[in-house]
Amino acid sequence: MLFQLLIDSFSLGSFYALIALGFSLIFGVTHTFNLAHGELILLSGYLAYVLGKYFSIPFLFTLPICMLALVFVAMLLHQLLRQVKEPFELNSLVVTFGLALVLQNAMLFFFSANYRLIHVPPVPPLELPNLHLFITQTQFILVGLSLLVTGSIYLLWRKTFLGKALRATIQDREAARLAGINVEHMSLMAFILGGMLIGLAGPLYAQREYLHPFGGMEATLIGVIITIFAGVGRIRGILLGGWILGGVESVTVFFLGANWRELVSALVLIMLIVVRPAGVLSKRAKSERWR
Amino acid sequence: MNKPGHPSFLILAVTFALIAWAAFLTGSGIHYRVLGMACFYGALALSWNIFALTGAISLGHAAFFGLGAYGSALFCQYWHWSPYITIFLGGTVGCIYGFLWHLTFRKLRGAAFALATLASVEIPKVTIDNWDRLTSGSLGLVGIARLPPVNLGSITFDVDENLQAQCFFLLMFALVVIYIHFKAMSSKWGWAIRSVREDEIAASTIGVDVPGIRLRALCVSAYLTGLCGAVYAHLMGSIEPALVFSLHFSALPLVLSIFGGRYQALGPFLGALILYPADQLLFHSWFPAGHAAFYGLVMVITILFFPHGIGEWVQQKTKSA
Amino acid sequence: MVRSLGRLAIVLLYMTLQAAVVFADAIRIGEVNPLTGKLAKHGLEIHEGILAAVEEVNARGGIKGSMVELVSRDDQSLPEVAINQTEELLYRVKVIGLVGGYVDALVGPISELAAKHRTPYVASASLQRSLTEGRQNPYFFRVSQLDGVAKPLCDFVIEMIHPKTAAILYAATPGSTEFGHDVEACLRNAGVTIPIVEKFRPGTLDFSSFLLKVRQSQPDILISGGFYPDHLILVRHLREQKIPLPIYLAPWGVAYASFIEEMGEASEGLFGLCAWNPGITLPGTEKESELFVERFTRRFSKPPNTTTMHGYTSARALLAAVDKTLQSGQELSGDRISQQLRSLDLILPMEHLAFNQNGDPKHYDQVVVQIQKGKLVVVYPPNRATGKIMEH
Repeated sequence: MLFQLLIDSFSLGSFYALIALGFSLIFGVTHTFNLAHGELILLSGYLAYVLGKYFSIPFLFTLPICMLALVFVAMLLHQLLRQVKEPFELNSLVVTFGLALVLQNAMLFFFSANYRLIHVPPVPPLELPNLHLFITQTQFILVGLSLLVTGSIYLLWRKTFLGKALRATIQDREAARLAGINVEHMSLMAFILGGMLIGLAGPLYAQREYLHPFGGMEATLIGVIITIFAGVGRIRGILLGGWILGGVESVTVFFLGANWRELVSALVLIMLIVVRPAGVLSKRAKSERWR
Repeated sequence: MNKPGHPSFLILAVTFALIAWAAFLTGSGIHYRVLGMACFYGALALSWNIFALTGAISLGHAAFFGLGAYGSALFCQYWHWSPYITIFLGGTVGCIYGFLWHLTFRKLRGAAFALATLASVEIPKVTIDNWDRLTSGSLGLVGIARLPPVNLGSITFDVDENLQAQCFFLLMFALVVIYIHFKAMSSKWGWAIRSVREDEIAASTIGVDVPGIRLRALCVSAYLTGLCGAVYAHLMGSIEPALVFSLHFSALPLVLSIFGGRYQALGPFLGALILYPADQLLFHSWFPAGHAAFYGLVMVITILFFPHGIGEWVQQKTKSA
Repeated sequence: MVRSLGRLAIVLLYMTLQAAVVFADAIRIGEVNPLTGKLAKHGLEIHEGILAAVEEVNARGGIKGSMVELVSRDDQSLPEVAINQTEELLYRVKVIGLVGGYVDALVGPISELAAKHRTPYVASASLQRSLTEGRQNPYFFRVSQLDGVAKPLCDFVIEMIHPKTAAILYAATPGSTEFGHDVEACLRNAGVTIPIVEKFRPGTLDFSSFLLKVRQSQPDILISGGFYPDHLILVRHLREQKIPLPIYLAPWGVAYASFIEEMGEASEGLFGLCAWNPGITLPGTEKESELFVERFTRRFSKPPNTTTMHGYTSARALLAAVDKTLQSGQELSGDRISQQLRSLDLILPMEHLAFNQNGDPKHYDQVVVQIQKGKLVVVYPPNRATGKIMEH
């Protein structure tokens, strides 16, 4: 049974990480606190739903289409946010808050308040009777994708100049500018990459959960929590943070009951944040200055 | 030339006009109700902003709100004291939790602090939700005692039944919070807060007790937020954990403060006074189903054109006049 | 999707125009529902049901020559907004009656305001006991109550399933919690062992660990007191992970055509409860029910469901009371309409509608259905059954 719990934790954690990656990238590079993150994921999900239902496009093919579409949407968002003046972080929070409300009502108008979801042709789970393990197709995909995506971004981060430039912008915007990096281009890149990640998360969300115009807040919260928990801009930390959160939740529900889930998660989160304010994988336990 | 934080004359005049209107106009009940609630949210936004003035953006003030609401309601239920006493006890419960925040989150800043405060709402929320014996858990508390009428000489203020009296009560409440907020901007304490916000290290170099200032601001803010929560509980008559600990009460003060102007004495109050009645009276009746989109649009456009909030813009307009 | 776009456009446009359309000498009734937010699906369904009833009356020429005007407001699922909007309806718009409302946290405050203003309020979807017992609000009526859900469910489980063990899952909302407690007590009384009683918070995205516990303890039946979206997640995870579970019974959210449509194969064999559905109606009202379904589908481009019918029934009750008041030659007033409501006796597709002195419906009993081959089949009570329980 404990093995099953482990698999469930990894799967859930991977799911959380995939949701949070887009938010983390955008927040890290541009300091945009995008409260419309969940709504953007839903938008991507709705697109995948429409593609699947009315154009009979298989689920896996909807992923790249949604990623592309959300790149456009993210670029539009970037244009809007360029008009936002200082103080940027707080103002971007309020602007995206307002944007989220607009998006919710737009989705209500176009897709009605009915719940929608995406079906993937059912595949029997992988059974390991000796270990009492059932690994479902969804779990495979989630864990696999999260590792793949995290790995790809990590490669981008470490092995390319773009990655280096992005990292520099995250660490210190001014210094990056002085070093000759076009910081505005980096912001655009962050939105493009972030848009891709959000586009990827959308269909997965629609398949594992459901689509509802007002269901974006959960995804936004996950994005916020895991981003800050992992340390802003730390990609591997996102995956680890997701796994930790998924693990804590699963273990709590199993041993204590679903009604204690949020409490234990909050306690663990607070403990880890206090010990490592700069993120779960950071080396120093120094707190960062509020700008 | 206005001293920083001093509200411009125009804003003061508008505020007094509103007070006079509330006191003497025999308007429809709904206007009193909405104005009263706008004052309530103004007070809530101001309470949040008192702590935000130290530079710390909290996403977890709903914890104080909920603790205040439940604290007051439970004291009322078990000890049968008058709500006018228990609301202060509710505020105290909020304040105690604020003190716990200080002990635990003292070294945190910025995003880490925001996340920790956000997580900290779950602790009292889940505890109350599961403690069936004490709080009825998920069923929530119903039949909470309402605010009893107040007799001042020959006039009776039936705060619960009479909407005009309720509006007046909430207006007075807001004025008290406005005063405290004003003090948090323009007094010796206010200057210390400002120095902490601008540069903590420099502030401590010139002798400002940075942790002490933050603690004081946090406790005042937590107390007032808890007080708001308690008043809310007695106004509504029934509460449940999902309601009083909801993100709504953490996010709205933040949004209203930024909309109205964080560094204005009346900024957050102004934000509430403009947005809340507009939303409840105008947007709801123009677009019964789409009002939130309009609300969001107003927010986006306002911040794009007035990045420091409406209050700052009004201040500038009257300064240059 | 273009159809739903058009349909929604019509609904929204109509509602936007509500404030602008004023009939001379109109009879105004008001409704406050969650039109946005998490409860929007059911809030809108209740609204459509009420609208259908109002339009039906107006198509017949109104009540004694006067048209009925429906003024709608959104409560955003917040009690305080419900209060604001109700007050707007009572004070500014001056409605003579209120209908609608979805969750008891919202219905409660509205009912109190209605009483203060001496305006009758017929709630469409209120369940909890505390709203009627001991409160003696002579202006509050409702067409549903929790006993009409919990009792048939419990009777069905004990009489037709006879499980040895049962698992209960419920949501951390007042209505679902009360239901959870009721069902647990009732089953324990009947000698059923209950290894799992679990409470979860709405908005939970994952039930894997809970399902692991279910797999471990192997109950004969899982009673799931969550709501529509929760079942969407829970049932799919259940099927995906091949959790051995003979019976999945859910009072809310399952007995919907849209649920069957969205879930497809995965919904086969699930048990739910409903007060009405197309084809499942009070004996004797088949013709009226069919006509209603036909008219509704033409008007809204989609079939009505049990939630829609709750809205429709409550509006019918209020309008019937208004009609009786005017027929007796009296002028409309809150007190007179409430009096007529108290003596109301209507046979409607959803129930034989009559209120007791607390405002509760006297004959509200839901039926248990099972999804068989994509259709809802009534399996309990025996006098309403249209089929037998299908082994899954």
